[in-house]
Amino acid sequence: MIRKPGRVLGALIVLAIVLASLCAPLLSSQNPNASGDDMLSPASAAHWFGTDDLGRDVFTRVLYGGRVSLLIGVGAACIACGVGVPAGLLAGYAKGWLSVGMVQLIDLFIAMPGLVLALVITVVVGPTLWNLMLVLGLVQWPGIARLVRGQVLALRDTPFVEAAQALGGSVGWILFRHIWPNIARVVAAQFAVAISVAIFTSASLSFLGLGLPPPTPDWGSMVQGGFDGLAFNPWLCLGPGAAVSLTIFGFYAMGRSVE
Amino acid sequence: MIGFILRRMLLLLPNLVLLTFVMFAVMTSWFGSPATMMLGRDATAEAVADMDRRYGFDQPVLVQYARWIGHAATGDFGRSFASQQTVAALLAPAVPVTLELSLAAILLAFAAAVSVNSLTIARRVITPMVTAASILGVTVPNFMLGATLIYLFAIRLRLLPTTGWVPWQQGVGPHVLHLLLPVITLCAFYTSAFSMVYRAEYRATARLLFVCVAQAKGLSETRVSFRHILPNAVLPVITQAGLSLGQLVGGAVVTETVFSIPGVGRLLVAAIGSSDYPLILAITMMILTAVALANLLADLLYARVNPLVRI
Amino acid sequence: MTGLLLRRRTLLASAAALAAVPARADAPKTGGTLSVGIDDDAKTFNPALSVQLSERQVLHCVYNTLLAIDVDFSVKPELARSWTVEQGGLRYVFQLAEGVSFHDGTPFDAAAVKWNIDHRLDPANASPQRSLLGPVIADVEVLGPHSVAFNLKAPHPALLSDLADRAGFMMSPAGFARYGADFGRNPIGTGAFRFKAWTQGSSIALVRNQDYWEKGLPYLDGITFRDIPNHVIGLQRMSVGEIDIITSLSPDDLRQIEGNDAIATERARIGRWYSLQWQVDKPPFNNPKLRQAIAYALDRKRINELCMRGRAVIANGPTPPGLWWSSPDTVVYDTDLEKSRALLREAGIAPGTKLQLSVSSDLVLRKIDQLVAEQLAEVGLTVELQPVSEAESYARVVKRAINFTPINWTQRADPDGLLFILFDSKGFANSTGYSNPEVDRRLEEARQLLDQDRRKALYAEVKTLIQQDLPYVSLFFAAEYAAYANSVHGFVWPPDQIPRYRRVWKA
Repeated sequence: MIRKPGRVLGALIVLAIVLASLCAPLLSSQNPNASGDDMLSPASAAHWFGTDDLGRDVFTRVLYGGRVSLLIGVGAACIACGVGVPAGLLAGYAKGWLSVGMVQLIDLFIAMPGLVLALVITVVVGPTLWNLMLVLGLVQWPGIARLVRGQVLALRDTPFVEAAQALGGSVGWILFRHIWPNIARVVAAQFAVAISVAIFTSASLSFLGLGLPPPTPDWGSMVQGGFDGLAFNPWLCLGPGAAVSLTIFGFYAMGRSVE
Repeated sequence: MIGFILRRMLLLLPNLVLLTFVMFAVMTSWFGSPATMMLGRDATAEAVADMDRRYGFDQPVLVQYARWIGHAATGDFGRSFASQQTVAALLAPAVPVTLELSLAAILLAFAAAVSVNSLTIARRVITPMVTAASILGVTVPNFMLGATLIYLFAIRLRLLPTTGWVPWQQGVGPHVLHLLLPVITLCAFYTSAFSMVYRAEYRATARLLFVCVAQAKGLSETRVSFRHILPNAVLPVITQAGLSLGQLVGGAVVTETVFSIPGVGRLLVAAIGSSDYPLILAITMMILTAVALANLLADLLYARVNPLVRI
Repeated sequence: MTGLLLRRRTLLASAAALAAVPARADAPKTGGTLSVGIDDDAKTFNPALSVQLSERQVLHCVYNTLLAIDVDFSVKPELARSWTVEQGGLRYVFQLAEGVSFHDGTPFDAAAVKWNIDHRLDPANASPQRSLLGPVIADVEVLGPHSVAFNLKAPHPALLSDLADRAGFMMSPAGFARYGADFGRNPIGTGAFRFKAWTQGSSIALVRNQDYWEKGLPYLDGITFRDIPNHVIGLQRMSVGEIDIITSLSPDDLRQIEGNDAIATERARIGRWYSLQWQVDKPPFNNPKLRQAIAYALDRKRINELCMRGRAVIANGPTPPGLWWSSPDTVVYDTDLEKSRALLREAGIAPGTKLQLSVSSDLVLRKIDQLVAEQLAEVGLTVELQPVSEAESYARVVKRAINFTPINWTQRADPDGLLFILFDSKGFANSTGYSNPEVDRRLEEARQLLDQDRRKALYAEVKTLIQQDLPYVSLFFAAEYAAYANSVHGFVWPPDQIPRYRRVWKA
């Protein structure tokens, strides 16, 4: 662990952001969704990032915005792994048409531009919390499947797996008891990366106007809303932007140790 | 090899058909008839029904799709619902803009990744900084980077124009100035991604015998970096460039929106905003084909250089 | 009604418009290019197909309309120099300007007028204006080279104002024959400016029409419409002189240029009508007590404060003050939470009842949505916001797939233009399911009358009735602004909010 300072840094950042969003009511006494009388005021001691066009405290909204982003990120990563890991195991371990078919399917989806696909699907299904998780999870499963398949392929012909096969172990038993423990670490790391990609993509969607409906604080939508006010109060835009960048960075660094 | 290419092409085709059909079916059933949208707020129910009949919006999805794909096969993507102009006429001015932006970004990213890493890899002090920078490049979303650059260089320092696009014909200088921030925004991600790939390859190459020989001969570090290692380590980066075209397109959509650049990405976002599905379908299809072809090219290139990969 | 061969009007075209030129204008200077910042969502410059508001300021440069509206919404001559109303309002005869030609050199004459109207009426051309003209116009008759008659199916005084809007833009028949479906990219009219180039999503360039028929006009050598991603960046580009004029600014936008002496602002005379609408024939809003409870629960003063910086005019009906058919407010819903809660109890609506309100990406509507949700929570109603794309929104409202939504409408030059289509049970924009025979009777009577005072009285009664029935909850008439550099003179902004640039000049 110590040899991977990137991972530690990432974990610390993630921890800080999770705490900040969970403890948002303790860190700020203001209601993130209640309109105020002081609209578009600049950053001050009372409003660290200023207020938005409905007079709401931007800093408070940035804190609460973490909840939605984290939820979408983790949910999407769970779905991506839930589909991608079994698919990858199957594609790697099975032989014959099943394997070929799976690989073709994975290759078909992996080539697709994730954001564009997510954009088009979200327009049709509508940006709700569940839909976003689902869309961002489904966009990512092929990457995870490919990774898992590569790992399985490398393990399939190793002596210990062959020994297990010789003992007459069932496929499920071999996959679960012998192969899975060896790839769990890689999948865990990829899980963190998947969270970062999901947050990245969902923020981009929100920026393009496909975020959660108001008044839910949503980082991507806040950046977009604040973009117009960049000249007045950069925090309106760059505050939530920095929060989302930091979160993505944290998860990414956690997943990908620096090298 | 040719068999491989053919097989990939043959696979691409049904994939495109299947995908566009699903999109078509979902969009027509979800959005319903676009007649009201086309006719605006001054439309009577009778006028809407009339337009439905004439354009065939009231026919079954399969019939509508068959007609669409039949025309698409001949390169005719129909007319945009929103503007009544041909999709081709809308795409014609947008495609070169996006191509210019993306190519400029990819080339710049490539040059930056290769040169910075070749120069600094031996200098242990700088390496962690480059590493941190490249992680940042991968993780800061385009919209955030774009907004930050606009704030710093256009609003604060007033060195560059905030947003917008000036075609070549209206002056090369303004054109380049307007292009600068979007290209930097778009290329940050690639510089980082390429940099990671290149560094790994560079390390592996640096351990090879001929490099040790070159170093033993007392050649300068720079010379070893650029003359001996670089040519051997650069190829995976090119492959990576082909493989990451899909992400580039996504980045271009956001970047064009941030800087209001009249390219394909902005056209797509506008088409989505106005539920203009002939345009959405045509653009998506174009992007998918381009990405699939780029992937194919990358695979071929990779196989050509690395005979161990059998295709 | 014997003297209905009435109101033969011949006006000097410039007299009314000159009155609107700011006093600081000296003798107009010729030359220069005006740079206009617009939100370029323009799709086509074929006036028969045009829907977007952003297209229309360009259309008014490239084309002339048969008639024009003045800054007080009155109709004045343009291509048609005078007109008579005959046969009890069933026949309108127009005398056209002579010596006018299209940009392609073909003459503008009575045959061209007939072609333009027939073109819009032909279903094959799918013109949105067909729904407007179709029920009204029986045929167009060429009486001479410069004389044309419109025969109507029923009296329709609003015809004149329709011909000052999109239906009145005269396009070149020869040009359309040449370009067909691509006419929208190659527009040819008789207007003061010729269409030069269009880089979609970036800029639209027009050049002076040297042979323009109104002598001495236009003053400018050209106009470039530049796309601006948002008003803040647009105003910033105005501060550095890249852009001369921007319209449709909100009170929030103005903060940026307050105190900037180089930039002048002008407020729109008539702002858009913002309101909430619902389906009065479907649950839950078929319960009049619920509608009233919501009307009493809203704090429109605060909505005005937060959405318009308090500069909007609170609305108690669809017609703003200052028009000939405006009338005093008779039914007013001032905030009264107690009354609202009592009405909810009477209506049998339990606290915590969920309502769905649609929300699009339009900035003002989005703010209204959030404030309405917040204010209705005060009386125990839970409002969930349902996202819908901005373009899709109206289509879904008309399809009645959206039950509860904020909406805005621009005023038309004739009361019939808005009131009939929204509130008559047969109005094509009646998406609320509202049907009141008393309202229908008055609207149908008023649309055929030529007596303005009688019409005004009927529309006042209609206003009272709809305020009682509440198919819409009126919120406010927006405050909208134009900002322009001090070097710009002669800017004319009629209440349809489409700027006209023919008489604009730069010092």
